[in-house]
Amino acid sequence: MLGAAYGWTARDHRAQELVALTDRLTQLEKRNSSLQEQASRSADLHARLSELETALAAALRDAESARQAALVETPAAEMARPAPEPVVADAAALDFGDPEKGREVFAQCTSCHQIGQGAEDRIGPHLNGIFGRRAGAHEGFRYSDDMKMMGADGLTWELANLDAYLENPKALVSRTRMNFAGLKDPQDRSDILAYLRQFSASPQNIPEAAPTAQPREVDLSPEVLAIVGDTDYGEYLASECKTCHQQDGSDKGIPAITNWPTEDFVVAMHAYKRQIRPHPVMQMMASRLSDEEIAALAAYFAQGE
Amino acid sequence: MKLNRRAFVGTGMAAASTLGAPMVHAASHGIPKVVVVGGGAGGATAARYIAKDSAGEIDVTLIEPTRSYYTCFFSNLYIGGFWDLENLSHSYGKLASDYGINVVHDWATGVDRDAKTVALAGGGSVPYDRLILSPGIDFVDGSVPGWDVSAQNAMPHAYKGGSQTELLKAQIMAMPEGGTYVMVAPPNPYRCPPGPYERISMVAHVLKANNPTAKIIIADPKANFSKQGLFEEGWQKHYSGMITRIGPDFGGENVTVDPAAMTVDVDGEVINADVVNVIPAQKAGLICEAAGLTDGNWAPVDGHSMVSRLDENIHILGDATNQGDMPKSGFSANSQAKVAAMAVRGALTGSRVFPAKYSNTCWSLIATDDGVKVGAAYEPNDEKIASVSSFVSQTGEDVAMRKATYEESIGWYEGITTDMFG
Ligand SMILES: Cc1cc2nc3c(=O)[nH]c(=O)nc-3n(C[C@H](O)[C@H](O)[C@H](O)COP(=O)(O)OP(=O)(O)OC[C@H]3O[C@@H](n4cnc5c(N)ncnc54)[C@H](O)[C@@H]3O)c2cc1C
Repeated sequence: MLGAAYGWTARDHRAQELVALTDRLTQLEKRNSSLQEQASRSADLHARLSELETALAAALRDAESARQAALVETPAAEMARPAPEPVVADAAALDFGDPEKGREVFAQCTSCHQIGQGAEDRIGPHLNGIFGRRAGAHEGFRYSDDMKMMGADGLTWELANLDAYLENPKALVSRTRMNFAGLKDPQDRSDILAYLRQFSASPQNIPEAAPTAQPREVDLSPEVLAIVGDTDYGEYLASECKTCHQQDGSDKGIPAITNWPTEDFVVAMHAYKRQIRPHPVMQMMASRLSDEEIAALAAYFAQGE
Repeated sequence: MKLNRRAFVGTGMAAASTLGAPMVHAASHGIPKVVVVGGGAGGATAARYIAKDSAGEIDVTLIEPTRSYYTCFFSNLYIGGFWDLENLSHSYGKLASDYGINVVHDWATGVDRDAKTVALAGGGSVPYDRLILSPGIDFVDGSVPGWDVSAQNAMPHAYKGGSQTELLKAQIMAMPEGGTYVMVAPPNPYRCPPGPYERISMVAHVLKANNPTAKIIIADPKANFSKQGLFEEGWQKHYSGMITRIGPDFGGENVTVDPAAMTVDVDGEVINADVVNVIPAQKAGLICEAAGLTDGNWAPVDGHSMVSRLDENIHILGDATNQGDMPKSGFSANSQAKVAAMAVRGALTGSRVFPAKYSNTCWSLIATDDGVKVGAAYEPNDEKIASVSSFVSQTGEDVAMRKATYEESIGWYEGITTDMFG
């Protein structure tokens, strides 16, 4: 009786074991085939990726040689003619102003900037191909550290930020070498931009064609600039800045924020807040500061420690 | 609990003062006392800010057993060969000399919350009006079967700073040609969400240069991880073929280790490894539990001031807390410390208190000059600290931007360590 029961149990165990082993085998087979599938998918993707990379490289080469050709071969007279009607049309976003008038306004820039055939870097960089160019990235020109930083942060020149930079250079680049107070008249700016744009290759493809790229005013109302900051509050808020910005004013990797003239500071913070300046951390930090809080920070930093 | 705490009541001075002067403002003289336990990202910052901003009106004691704090942040860069060990080390000297903080190198072993004293391992106790705890993490027993702290030499975690980091690096450098490194990654929540994956990048970086046929395996209980798209893009680009991650769908959550045999069993498959980096599940530093301030594995706090939800005289900072949406990072602990410092000063000296704001950014290095970052801003509500906006680096960013991001992280390291230690 007992023996029979024992024998039965043992068999039962073995049967269970067999079931378990079969299960495990199916599992392993499944995993194996899924791994194989993954491997072949990843091989496919690799192949596709390298095709795309090759195509991209070729396209980039073509685009660059087209750009060079456009810059070198087009006679100056022809370049001054209005650009062909853009293909991507958003009438409002592309309302550029008058390039002829723009040329007149540009006269005040020519002591530093050249543009057109044979243009070279002078006190400022030449401006051929400025639309779509990374800030501070034109080879061979000595930019300010701040301009280089803006470029590294991702600033690429397009309608909205060129407009902002022309309106108030320091709003975008605090310690820019461009010694220029800014063009306050929006019409002057759009005329000048219309003029500059003719010297950039394939202007219909330039990034400002996106309907979101409306020019934005950067200058602040006198009321905002007049707010007197609460330095105690500024001190607390500033403690957040000091996690990253060095307190001794050195600028290893992250710019110094000590000894910063109040108005420049305020204008810069608002430019981050409105996302005119690039840099995700600064945009995020500034986005939650009210006008009063920006003023409080400026007041605190102005008084030094 | 009560019994436990009573057992720690110190002798002599603390007990006497407790009886003699039922404290309004502490012990022997009228100056209010703040005691900070733990001199890391949270504790050192809090101590420094309170001492600096109260200018002598508050007496600050910092209890920290180690004489040099080795940051965990950037320890991966040391493993990758980008950073020297000495660069990770910071002393408490300035906190004592420039800020007048009483730095006590000892362990806190318990808190008597009724008497408001902290007991020290070396004997005696320290009275406080406000206590700040920022003890970081400890490990959950049994979370990786086969591993406990006694095995941390054979299978280092390198998830607390200093000697563990050094040990792990030495083991990696000593791997045989074509050898195998296995990481057992932790379940959520844990300190520094991108940390294990930045470490993988840095291990791959040194191995690629010194031992290019070596293999890297991650057994991971999590389906997804921080900055996953960025890391995977980077691994593909820089370390193609070196790294295999076994997620939970392939048994990555079912791991046991054998430190004597140097094997890792992942869901029934036994891997013979040369280096095993076990990062166990984590919980609040033990002192929080000893003080009866935890609920589950972590210490709950109110995000308006980082005050414990279980004791209005104790603030808790950093990794040890359950506060809401902020990741457990040095940046977060530092940010929380400033809010707590302001609240503590307000309570003890009546200085102004402003609404709390928090932020965090975590940079990670994937390869030489290939830095990425993720961050968010936070504000408290009654329930938790909530994220109000965030950002993350994008895949496909160009080389210049990645380099700038890396350089920025070096700037941040300078900034935060100065903010902690003066
Ligand atoms: C590999 C790695 C990489 C990381 N990288 C980053 C990064 O790039 N950026 C970032 O922001 N964060 C990073 N972190 C996370 C960061 O290190 C922690 O989040 C941070 O240190 C938490 O600060 P804390 O004050 O809570 O604890 P800790 O900084 O750990 O400080 C706790 C201190 O308390 C002491 N202590 C503990 N118990 C007691 C006791 N009973 N008595 C007295 N003293 C005690 C300890 O000795 C220790 O010094 C990383 C972490 C790791 C592991």
